[in-house]
Amino acid sequence: MASKVFEWLDERLGLNDMYKALLDRPEPEGTWWNTLGSASLFLFIMQGVTGIFLLMYYTPSPDHAYDSIQYIMNEVAFGWLIRGIHHWGANLMVFIVFVHMLRVFTTASYKYPRELTWVIGVLLLLTTLGLGLTGYLLPWNQRSYFATTVATEIAGLVPFAGDFITRVMRGGTDLSALTLSRFFATHVWVLPATLALLITAHLYLIIRHGESEYPSEED
Amino acid sequence: MDEKHKQRVRERYQRALQHGEKFWPDSIYKDVLVSFALFLLLVGLATFVGVKPEPKVNPNDTTYLPRPEWYFLFMFEFLKFIPGSIEWVGAILIPTIGIVVLLVLPFIDRNPYRHYSKRVLALSVMGLIVLDIVLLTVMALVPAPTPEQVFFKNLQRLAGLTIPGLTLVVLFVLARVVREPASQRKAMLVVTGLAALGMIGASLATVFPLAASAPPKEEEQIFASVSEQIAAGQDLYSTYCAECHGPEGRVTEIQGVEGLDGRIVTAINSNDVMYTFTDETLRNIIRDGWPESGMPPFGMELSPNEIDALVAFMRYTWDDRIEAPAEAQAGGIPALAEGEVPSYDVHIEPIVKRYCLSCHRPGKENNNYLMTSYEEILTTGDNAPNLVAGDMDSILLQVIQGHEVEGKTGTINVMPPNGKLIKDEYVQMFIRWVEAGMPQTADDAAAAAP
Repeated sequence: MASKVFEWLDERLGLNDMYKALLDRPEPEGTWWNTLGSASLFLFIMQGVTGIFLLMYYTPSPDHAYDSIQYIMNEVAFGWLIRGIHHWGANLMVFIVFVHMLRVFTTASYKYPRELTWVIGVLLLLTTLGLGLTGYLLPWNQRSYFATTVATEIAGLVPFAGDFITRVMRGGTDLSALTLSRFFATHVWVLPATLALLITAHLYLIIRHGESEYPSEED
Repeated sequence: MDEKHKQRVRERYQRALQHGEKFWPDSIYKDVLVSFALFLLLVGLATFVGVKPEPKVNPNDTTYLPRPEWYFLFMFEFLKFIPGSIEWVGAILIPTIGIVVLLVLPFIDRNPYRHYSKRVLALSVMGLIVLDIVLLTVMALVPAPTPEQVFFKNLQRLAGLTIPGLTLVVLFVLARVVREPASQRKAMLVVTGLAALGMIGASLATVFPLAASAPPKEEEQIFASVSEQIAAGQDLYSTYCAECHGPEGRVTEIQGVEGLDGRIVTAINSNDVMYTFTDETLRNIIRDGWPESGMPPFGMELSPNEIDALVAFMRYTWDDRIEAPAEAQAGGIPALAEGEVPSYDVHIEPIVKRYCLSCHRPGKENNNYLMTSYEEILTTGDNAPNLVAGDMDSILLQVIQGHEVEGKTGTINVMPPNGKLIKDEYVQMFIRWVEAGMPQTADDAAAAAP
């Protein structure tokens, strides 16, 4: 019965072909250092899942943002755990993505034919940092408020366009409800969607060219 | 890159695949294991370290020192080396160059080789930059040198900017000048090694003394539960509000307060206030004041968390539509059992806090009689001593029973001054306390009991 169901599905979905193309691939011998990419992906998924949970209770308005997080931490069942994982996951993700990049640099895996994989990887790092920056403001506490004030001030140092950039980031001259909702929308929608698209391209390129081998004396 | 080289790369990759592994299950197994370990790590961090509580936003707090996330700290530290007039060079130009170089790295790095021994330049540059990032982060974690500590400041600049900057230049010059591969490699490794030692040495020489000089930091109070909020709100109320509004919020005419004497106000414990003002309104009035009615703003003195605590105290104590949580019996002045001797810690301090402290603290007009601690209550004041063990004519006992007393400073008024004595029950506590010799702790009181 089970094999019949599988055959029926395979005929329509091409499960066997998928298995061969995605999973049953030969690879050069790897080490534990090769797990950093998948670890980054895992952390991104964790951030997505915990982020969606937080989204159910979080209110992106200056009047309620802080209190809604207090509520998550004190009242919601396991809210402290979800928030804790999201908080630490964000920190760990930046760290793992950075170490992943160092590994790729050290083994020169960005060279032919994997140049584009590297370029997309750098974009992934930047998007991750952007998520960290925008997420930092959301708890609407002293630390996030003043850190964001400084960050948007720094953006204002860009020659000529600085003022304009700061005003766009803040939604006005000062940090306000508009800043919070802008950072919120960027944090929960724009950047995660960007990241997901970039990850898809990154993974496609990895499957297309295969994982790189460790360089030998003759390379 | 020519076709022949590409061909060689492809061939070698095919050979590597021959004696490699399978994605499933060999690689996946390792991936899953690492991800699972990270998951456990995250749960552990969330459970045992948690998220550090932070006070609510308070844009008026100009003393707050902003700190970026740890992964931006190195930038923050690096910026300190750049003079303010060209801040944009450090804040915008250098990071932008860094990002662009990273993005187009595969196209800049024309070296076709991959083995470590043939990429000494690239690896040295990476090593130096990573080391600099780590050292800058460490330097950002300890207190910055004061303007007088010029030596430390220069040493940090040397470690974080001068040495790595110059070494990068030297490395690229070496790549051009020394063409023989073996000696080039050797020269680069020596230069990088020396530079790394210099950077580590210079930065650690500043980090340890600076870390030792860090002042202990004061943490702002954050209240975990409603009961804690109410208890804290009670103390704040007694300190900041009771002087005008009275210990129970009943006052309708302010008495004996400089500048506001005789002012008619609404009793803030009344239903008029409790039913018509929302928490938000109360918060705003406390923070920004209400000039027409004489209410001064407290936004500079009190943090938003403290204002929240005050509002919680008012709401749970005076609003008859809401019942306070059982464990939060606001005020906490315990009743005295038959034959029990009161102690300062358990009985007297809460009464003093609620009824006396708002005036009898530093900076108020009180004949220098301060009541913030046991010692102060016994010893301070222009008419000291105000309390003498066993003496029923002690000044404090007399005035709280409604008798004026002649002292060194002239006539001492009845206390509290707004014409309403504290509850007789509390007066009795004071009398029995003085009779028993004014024990400080509950143990002392028990020992003094007959």
